[in-house]
Amino acid sequence: MFEWIISILLLIGGCFILVGSIGLVKMPDFYMRLHGPTKATTLGMASLLTAAMVFFSTTQAGLSIKEILISLFLLLTAPISGYMMIKSAIHHKLDCIERTKGIDNIEDDV
Amino acid sequence: MTLLWIPLISLLGSIISSMTGKLTRNQSTGLTLLMPVIALLMTINLAPAVFAGDVIRETFTWIPLLGIDIAFRLDGLALLFVFMILVIGILVIFYARYYLSSNDSMPKLYAYLMLFMTAMLGIVISNNVIQLWFFWELTSISSFLLISYWWHKSEAREGAIMALTVTGAGGLALLAGLLLLGDIVGSYNLDVILASRDIIHAHAWYEVTLILILLGAFTKSAQFPFHFWLPHAMAAPTPVSAYLHSATMVKAGVFLLARFYPALAGTDIWFIIVSFTGLATLLFGAYVALFKHDLKGLLAYSTISHLGLITLLFGLDTKLAAVAAIFHIINHATFKASLFMATGIIDHETGTRDMRKLNGLWRFMPYTATLAMVAAASMAGVPLLNGFLSKEMFFAETLHQQLLGSMSWLIPILATIAGAFAVAYSARFIHDVFFNGDPIDLPKQPSEPPRYMRVPIEVLVALCLVVGVVPNFIVDDILTAASVAVLGGVVPEFKVALWHGFNLPLMMSAIAVSGGLLLYTQRRHLFKFHDSLPSLNAKKAFDKILFAVMKWSEGKINAIENGSLQRYITLMLLVVLLFASWPLFEMSHLGGEKQLTPIDVHNAMGAALLMIGAFSTVIWYHSRVISLLMLSVVGLMVSIAFTRFSAPDLALTQLTVEVVTVILLMLALFFLPQHSPRESSSMRVLRDIGISTGLGIVIASICYALVTRPLDSISEFFLANAKTGGGGTNVVNVILVDFRGFDTLGEICVLGIAALGIYKLLANLPLLIPDRDSEGRPWAKERYPMLLASISQSLLPLALLVSFYIFLRGHNLPGGGFIAGLVTAVAFILQYIAHGSNWIAERLTINYRKIIAAGIAIALFTGVGSWFFGRPFMTTWFEYFDIPLIGEIELASALIFDIGVYITVVGSTLMILASLGQLTADEPKGEVKI
Amino acid sequence: MLETVMLIVFAMVGVSLLLNVWRLLVGPSVPDRILALDTMYINSIALIILYGMSMGTTLYFEAALLIAMLGFVSTVAVCKYLLRGDIIE
Repeated sequence: MFEWIISILLLIGGCFILVGSIGLVKMPDFYMRLHGPTKATTLGMASLLTAAMVFFSTTQAGLSIKEILISLFLLLTAPISGYMMIKSAIHHKLDCIERTKGIDNIEDDV
Repeated sequence: MTLLWIPLISLLGSIISSMTGKLTRNQSTGLTLLMPVIALLMTINLAPAVFAGDVIRETFTWIPLLGIDIAFRLDGLALLFVFMILVIGILVIFYARYYLSSNDSMPKLYAYLMLFMTAMLGIVISNNVIQLWFFWELTSISSFLLISYWWHKSEAREGAIMALTVTGAGGLALLAGLLLLGDIVGSYNLDVILASRDIIHAHAWYEVTLILILLGAFTKSAQFPFHFWLPHAMAAPTPVSAYLHSATMVKAGVFLLARFYPALAGTDIWFIIVSFTGLATLLFGAYVALFKHDLKGLLAYSTISHLGLITLLFGLDTKLAAVAAIFHIINHATFKASLFMATGIIDHETGTRDMRKLNGLWRFMPYTATLAMVAAASMAGVPLLNGFLSKEMFFAETLHQQLLGSMSWLIPILATIAGAFAVAYSARFIHDVFFNGDPIDLPKQPSEPPRYMRVPIEVLVALCLVVGVVPNFIVDDILTAASVAVLGGVVPEFKVALWHGFNLPLMMSAIAVSGGLLLYTQRRHLFKFHDSLPSLNAKKAFDKILFAVMKWSEGKINAIENGSLQRYITLMLLVVLLFASWPLFEMSHLGGEKQLTPIDVHNAMGAALLMIGAFSTVIWYHSRVISLLMLSVVGLMVSIAFTRFSAPDLALTQLTVEVVTVILLMLALFFLPQHSPRESSSMRVLRDIGISTGLGIVIASICYALVTRPLDSISEFFLANAKTGGGGTNVVNVILVDFRGFDTLGEICVLGIAALGIYKLLANLPLLIPDRDSEGRPWAKERYPMLLASISQSLLPLALLVSFYIFLRGHNLPGGGFIAGLVTAVAFILQYIAHGSNWIAERLTINYRKIIAAGIAIALFTGVGSWFFGRPFMTTWFEYFDIPLIGEIELASALIFDIGVYITVVGSTLMILASLGQLTADEPKGEVKI
Repeated sequence: MLETVMLIVFAMVGVSLLLNVWRLLVGPSVPDRILALDTMYINSIALIILYGMSMGTTLYFEAALLIAMLGFVSTVAVCKYLLRGDIIE
C-alpha cells in the first residue's frame, strides 16, 4: 500500500524534475527557459519530498516531518530566485523570440 | 611555591602599576612598591636556609620531551642578585616618583621597570638554561622600552634600537651557546650542567660553546668592543640608568660569567678571552670617562670600566679573584646607583648635565653634594668606603697571575693606571661639579631637591660607608654564600678587612690616588691631547653597518619576493611536485593489493560532472563570473561525493564554506576588472599547463596508491573512544572539540586574527568603485528589491532555527559549532544582501570584534576550567541527566567549547564580509573613496 | 518494486543534472548559466534525498537542507552582482 504511494509520488517527482530540465535545454529563449526549472522542478521536488516523508514515516520509528522544512525552503525561495534571475535578464536585455509574450510590459529600469 | 612567586609577584606588579593611571602619584608609587617589598620579604625569609648552604629548588614540568621545565634555583649567587635587584629596584621606584615631571606617564615607567625587574629576577633564579635565555631576552626587550621611554626624543629611540640590536644579537649567540651546552651535557638543567665540568671541558665543541656564551655575556655587560651601546642608552630617564647600569642589565652579563664559572672556567681559553677583554674594557672605559663632559656620559664610561674590572677578575686564575669579583659587583651597584641618582638630582635642579656649565654647586645643594662626594670617593677607591675594599682585593689579585708569562708584571701596572684614571674622573665629578668657581648660565636656579628624593641616595651611601668600615658585619654571609655557589663549594680563606698592613696593594692604591689627583690637576694638557686624537664615532659606524646589513637583506628579499603571485605559486607547486613525486619513483608498483570497487553509473556521472566543472573553471577564467559559477559546480559535486561516501560532516562543511567563499569572491570581484586580459605568452601557458598536469598526475597517482593499499590509521582509536572518552557519538565532532580541542582553539584564534587583519587592512582603503559593468551597462537602479527583502527577512528565523538544530545535534550526529556558525553567518549575509549594511547597522548594534573576543574567551575558559577540577587543560566533562518528560539528555563541557567555536566563526565571517561590504556602503557610485 | 522505481527516478534525476550542465556550458547568457546552476542545486537535493531513501537513512537530510538554503543565497548573490555589482551595499 505505502509502497504504491511512494512509488507513484517518486515517479511524479522524477518526471517533473526531468521535464523541468528538458525545458531548460529545449526552450528557445531565457524567458521561456525560466519556466521549466522554477515551476516544474519545484513541484517535482515537493512530490519527491512527500515521497521521502511517507517512506521514512513508514520505515522508521515515528512520523518524519523534517522534509517539510526543505519543501518550505524551496517553495519560499524558488519564486524569489526566479524573480532575481528575471530581473538580471531584463537588466541584461536578453534577446527573446517573437512568441514570447509580455515583453511590452517590461519597464526599462535604467 | 615561593620561588615561582618572586618573579610572578613582580610581573603582577607590572600589571598593577600599568593600571594606576587614574590614581595620584603617591598612590601609584605606593601600589608599585608593594610588590617588590613583598618579594623582598619572601627572599629574606628564604635567606637563612641559603646561608646555611642549602640550594632551594622548584621544578614544574612543562615540555618534558624537549627537556624544558619551569625550574627555579636559589643559591648564594642568585640570592645576592635577588637582593640587589629588589633593593635597588625599590629605591629606584621611590626615586622616580620625584624625578619624573608631571608630563611623563608614571604608570608607564613603573610598568616597564617592574617588567624589567621580572626579567632580571627570572634570569638569576632560573634552573633551566632555556628559561634563563627567555628571561635574558625579556631584559633586552624591556630595557628597549625603558630606554625609549622618552620616545619623542630621537636619541632615546636610537639608543634603544642600538641597545636592543647589540644585546639582542648577543642573546642569539647565547641561545646557540646554551643549546650546544645542553647538547654536550644532555640536559638543559642548570644543576646538571654545573656538575658536568669535566664532560664540557673535554668536549670538542667546548671552544665554540664558550665563545658563544661569552659573546652573550660581553654584549650585555658592554665589554669592549661591544661597549658602544651603553653610553647611548644614557638617553633614558636617570632612574632607568641608575637601575639598568648599576645593579641589573649590565650585571646580567657578569652574572652569566659567575653562573657558568664552575662549568666553563678553568681553561686557558677562558682565562685568555675573559681577562684580556676585561683588561681592555677596564682601561678603555677609565680613560674615556675622564674626557666626557656629560655627567651621565662620565658615569656610563666609568660603568664600562668597572664592568671590565669585574670581568678581568673572573678571568684571573685564582679563586680569590672570583670572590673579589662578586664583592665588587655588590660595591659597584651601591655606589653607581647613588651616583646616577645624584646626577639625576643635579640634572633635575639645574636643567643640565654639562660639566662645563656645572660649577660650584656646593653652595646651592650642600647636602646632595656631600652624598655625591662620598659615593664618588667610593668609586675612586678611597679608604673607609666599600669601593676601596674590593679595589684592594683586585690589586692584590693582579699580583698573583701569570697571564703574560714573564711579562705578567705589566698587569698590576696597567691596573694601577686604570685605578689612577678612576680617581681622576671621580675627582672631576666632585671638583668640577661642586666646586671650581661659579655655575655658567644654568637653565635653572639650583637648589636642594625635595626631601624624599634624597632618601634612596642616603640609604645607598650609608651602605657604602657601613660596608667600607665594618665589612664583616654586613657582607660576610652573603659573600661567602655567593662564593660557594660560584666556586663550587671550595671557598678559599678570605678576609675582607679595612687594614691588611702595609703591603703592595696598599701602595698601588696610594699610587693610584696620588696619580689620579695629578692627572686631574693636569687635565688641561690631557684634554688637548685627547682632542688631537682622531675621534671615532661609534654611532655613525653602527648606523653605517646597520644600514648596509639592511640594504643587503632587502636586496635579497626583493630578489626572491618580487610581488608576482604567479611566481610564488609556480615555485611552491614545483617544490610540492618534487617532494611528492620522489616517493612515487621509489615504489615498484603503483597499485596495491586491494581490489578496486567496480564503477557504477552514479559515480561515473559524478566524476564526469566534477571534471567538467573543473575544466570549465579554467577555460572560462577570462570571464570571471562564469568561472565562479563553474567553481560552484565543483564545490557542489565535491559535497555530493562526500555524502555519497558517508562523510556528512565534510559535506556540510564543504557546502557552507563554498557559499561563503563565492560571496567573498564576488565582493572582491566588484573591485577587479571583469575580464582578465590575455597577456601570458604561449611559453608561459605551456609552462603552466606542464606544471599543473604534472601535479595532477602525481596527486592522482598518490591517491591511487593510497586507496589500493590497506590503511592502518588512527581512526580506529577515535571510533573506539569517542563515546567513552568524549561523550559523543559523532566522532568528527568529538575529535574537533575534545581529542584535538587544542588544535581547534588554535584554529579559531587564527580565524579571529585573520578577520581582525582584514578589518584593519580594509579600513580607509581607497578603491575605485566602478559605475557600470564590464559591458558598459550602468547598474540597475533598484538597490534592495522589495520581494527579496521581505522573503529574506522571513527566512532569517527559519535559518537560525536550522543552525541551532545543527549546532545542538553536533556532538552525536553530523553538525557542530563550525557548520552552525557558518550557517548563521550566511543567514545574516542574506540580510546584508537584501537590505544593505546600513539597515543592519540600525537594527543590530553588535561589535563583531567583541563577538570574536568573546568566542575565543569562552573556548579558552572552557579549557582552563578543567584545571579547577585537577584535570589537564581541556579535559571534557560530560554527564547524563534524566529529566522527566524530556528523557535522558547529555550535558558536556565540550558543548560550551563548541559555543565558543560557533561565536568566533559567526563573528569572524560576518566581520570579514561586512567590512568588505562596508567599503561601498555610504559611497555614491563612480567616485573614489578616500 | 520500490527499488525499480528508485532506479528509474535516479536515472531521471541524473539525466536532469546532465541537461543542466549542458545549459550551464552552452549559456549563452550569464542569467542562463545562473538558472542552470540553480537547477543543479535543486536536482542535487533530489539526488541526496533519493540516496538517503535507498540507504534507508536520514543522515543525509541536513546536507539536502543546507543545499536548499545555501543554493538560494548563492543564486541571489550572483543575481545581485549582475544587477548592482556590489552585493553588500
